[in-house]
Amino acid sequence: MAAANRDVVQGTLDMLVLKALSLEPMHGWGITQRIHQITKDVLQVNPGSLYPALERLQDKRWVLSEWSTTENNRRAKYYRITAAGRRQLGDETESWRRLVAAVDAVLRTS
Amino acid sequence: MTWTSIAVRRLRALLRRSRVEAEMAEELRLHLEMEAAHRERAGLAPDEARRAAVHAFGGVEHAKEAYRDARGVWAVEQVVQDIRYGLRSLRAAPAFTAAVIITLALGIGASTAIFSVVHGVLLRALPYADPERIVVLWENDRDSHTEREPASVPDYFDYAARARSFSALAAFAEVPLNRTSADAEPERLAGARVTANLLAALGATPRIGRGFLAAEDAPGGPRVAIVSDRYWRTHLGGTTSVLGSSLLLDDSASTIVGVLPPEVRFPTEQTDVWVPMQLSPTSAPRSRHFLTLVGRLRANVSVTAANSEAASIGKALESEYTSDNAARGASVESLTDVLVGGVRRTLVLLLGAVALVLLIACANAASLLLARLAARAREVAVRAALGATRRRLAQQFFVESLLLTLGASTIGVALAAVGLRGLLAFAPATLPRRAEIALSAPVLAASIAVSVLVALAFGLLPALGGGAMPGDALQSTGSRGGTASREHRRFRGWLVVAEVALSLVLAVSAGLLVRSFERARGVDPGFTARRVLEIHYQLPPSRYFQSFSNYPGGWSKILGFQRDLVARAGALPGVQSAALAYNDPLTAGFANSFRIEGREAEAERGQAELATRPVSASYFATVGIPILRGRGFTERDDASAPLVVVINAAAATRYFANDDPLGKRIRFWGQFREIVGVVGNERFGGLVAVAPPAVYPVVSQAPMTIATLLVRTQGDPRASLAAVRRELRALDPNVAPFDVQTIDEALATSTAPQRFSATLLGSFAGVALVLALVGIYGVVAYSVAQRTREIGIRVALGATRSDVVREVLAQGLRLALAGCAIGLLGALAAGRLLASQLFAVSPWDPATFGLAITAIFAIAIVGSYVPARRAAGVQALEALRQD
Repeated sequence: MAAANRDVVQGTLDMLVLKALSLEPMHGWGITQRIHQITKDVLQVNPGSLYPALERLQDKRWVLSEWSTTENNRRAKYYRITAAGRRQLGDETESWRRLVAAVDAVLRTS
Repeated sequence: MTWTSIAVRRLRALLRRSRVEAEMAEELRLHLEMEAAHRERAGLAPDEARRAAVHAFGGVEHAKEAYRDARGVWAVEQVVQDIRYGLRSLRAAPAFTAAVIITLALGIGASTAIFSVVHGVLLRALPYADPERIVVLWENDRDSHTEREPASVPDYFDYAARARSFSALAAFAEVPLNRTSADAEPERLAGARVTANLLAALGATPRIGRGFLAAEDAPGGPRVAIVSDRYWRTHLGGTTSVLGSSLLLDDSASTIVGVLPPEVRFPTEQTDVWVPMQLSPTSAPRSRHFLTLVGRLRANVSVTAANSEAASIGKALESEYTSDNAARGASVESLTDVLVGGVRRTLVLLLGAVALVLLIACANAASLLLARLAARAREVAVRAALGATRRRLAQQFFVESLLLTLGASTIGVALAAVGLRGLLAFAPATLPRRAEIALSAPVLAASIAVSVLVALAFGLLPALGGGAMPGDALQSTGSRGGTASREHRRFRGWLVVAEVALSLVLAVSAGLLVRSFERARGVDPGFTARRVLEIHYQLPPSRYFQSFSNYPGGWSKILGFQRDLVARAGALPGVQSAALAYNDPLTAGFANSFRIEGREAEAERGQAELATRPVSASYFATVGIPILRGRGFTERDDASAPLVVVINAAAATRYFANDDPLGKRIRFWGQFREIVGVVGNERFGGLVAVAPPAVYPVVSQAPMTIATLLVRTQGDPRASLAAVRRELRALDPNVAPFDVQTIDEALATSTAPQRFSATLLGSFAGVALVLALVGIYGVVAYSVAQRTREIGIRVALGATRSDVVREVLAQGLRLALAGCAIGLLGALAAGRLLASQLFAVSPWDPATFGLAITAIFAIAIVGSYVPARRAAGVQALEALRQD
């Protein structure tokens, strides 16, 4: 049970990260900020979950990373979504919408 | 595609670990700073901002771990860690590590060595094409109850013509050949006369050259030869130019036409050369049996079918040739059975024994592993509390167990190799297929697999199965280990009991075989002389004329040779006396049918046979056989005098029970001979067999071209060898002596099979007892350590040192008693199984059983002694204060 939950949570987080990156490449902290923004403070992502998620996304080649410098001239690792990642985002969004509609339907009938 | 990217990233993580770690640290550090900066901008003071950031971070180390886990430390890196940790913890417990490794290594080594022998001799197919189709056609004699008899030439041709079962039926006879060459000493080769279709029957093709042609196998055909691979490589240069060269065999040149392939060592491992038999149906009489028949079955014919066909042909021949083939039948046996059947029983026995050793070794290792696991319960608990997952712990135990088995396997392989070489050097000459025995890789793999299983089963599973629950082990009071470890303790106790039981079985078996060997060695062979040198020789037929028409008188050259040889050898310094015999005292030789004058009717009914042993006049004195009645031979019994013989006591009892044999006449070899004496029995049929009845003609009336010279010396017989060779060479420089040995050596060889089994089984029993000792020590020592507090209380309450010691010893003895009780049944069963191998020893020999049981109790006492001492030294307060 816990594993299944974890997967669902992971999948959701992956989607959020991809969405955050779909606008422009960003470093880790920037991603957490963006998710914070987009979800209007509802969802907080802590680093313990974010960086593992980024590793997974890099494994699947949906995200690429490279070292660069910030505005303050600090070295940071920037993450960028790939074309495959964009396609995945589209698919994920689609299935998420379907899931939400289904659950909603169930809840409404009872 | 993602696989490759994952692999690349993992590889990078593995190979550039410090770089990757640094990057990760930097990334997280930056994240933290940015978070802190963000909060500062929101209005917090810098250090507060920092603290809030850290808090939001959720634990830096934790984050790092999560990061690392996601990055995925490649399995390899974990394994490297585990190996290092495993080595360290094994090094920290050297006694345990050494004990387990040595125990498993002994088990692996011994079983691999024996399994390899069994594999090479019994299990592997013979190196011929379709070896199950190759059979031997034996004749048998119902009257003398002999099976596996050779056939005669006319019989061979009849079988070949009438039998439908064989695609090829060949014949061979072993024959020694004298090879002379201009530039070397005369050499005696182990040869065989074969029919041209022998290669077809075996399904083999020559390595170079060809087999014999039909024309070469016809009487009067050209002289050709085929050499063995070994002889070709060692004596003939090993090049293809050997084809067409010639060998001087028995003074006539034979052209080499082929070389056998290396795996064909037929009919014996030592055979050097084949020559064609050149037979016709009239080459020899039907009453002379000297051919061994080898056939290849046709595709759909089974051995049983061939057997019944042979039997019916045999019956037909019996009715067609009532005198020559009376009571003679035939049977068919697979070649494999012929070659290895004799040793099958012994080898299976050894296999059983070594399996017991392996079991004991595994039980010992299991016991040690369980003990160690219990001792590490605390360590495991702490690690689990620190966050190690079960999976990770299991992985680490797994690696540690593998390290142990790796160590044990390495030593075990070395032991197996050394052991195998020792086995082969020490094995009796009767072990067939010796050259095909090698360390068998599948067997080695199997033994290693067994030890891996043991290590896993007892080093790993109990840890998983709840034997090391964190909660239990961390409690410092009372229940040292809890229920699971109590179960383990009982299990270990039973393991040791099982070990003891198996050791008893081995000890009893070994004891029985050793006693059997001692008895066999102690048998009186029937002759008293021991310092006798035996030298065999053969006079080549080309120079020593031998036609049976004027035997024996017309064989003057051979008679002269015999006379001169005995005289010259007897005259040498250091030589007490010399004699000739067709066979040395421990070799059976041949048997002939015979007729007693006046009792021909008896002979008609059953073709009894007497072992016929031509000897010179000085034989009985030289070898030390008593003359019981009448006289021996003298110089006067020569070719011109009446023909005389001497019989042995067994023949006298069998055929002259109510009669005086002296003066009676016996007919064999077409002539009547008078019995002039009765001599004591020599056990020429083997020390453990009953002495067969025999008749001794004298060589001056029965000259032989192949014989043994026996020289009795004052000192070491071999010291006279050179002088004897010189005399032989002086008489005829082209005669090569062979098979030189002393009677002592021959006696030792005749009991070699018993010695082999006894020694091997004795070593196994020794190993088993040592392992059982270690096992008992382990269990008793552990129990003492566990019960230290209890002992302390006892002592405080007034128990004396000797009370404590007695109790510990009693524990050890209880284990031994239980083991003996269980093992006794096994030992009795083993005795029954061994019964056929035993000589003059009952399978329930009480002395052996008593000795074995005493040994077990002795090791129980020795094994409990040190822990008992330790227990006795426990001070009351100390024990109570402990823990």
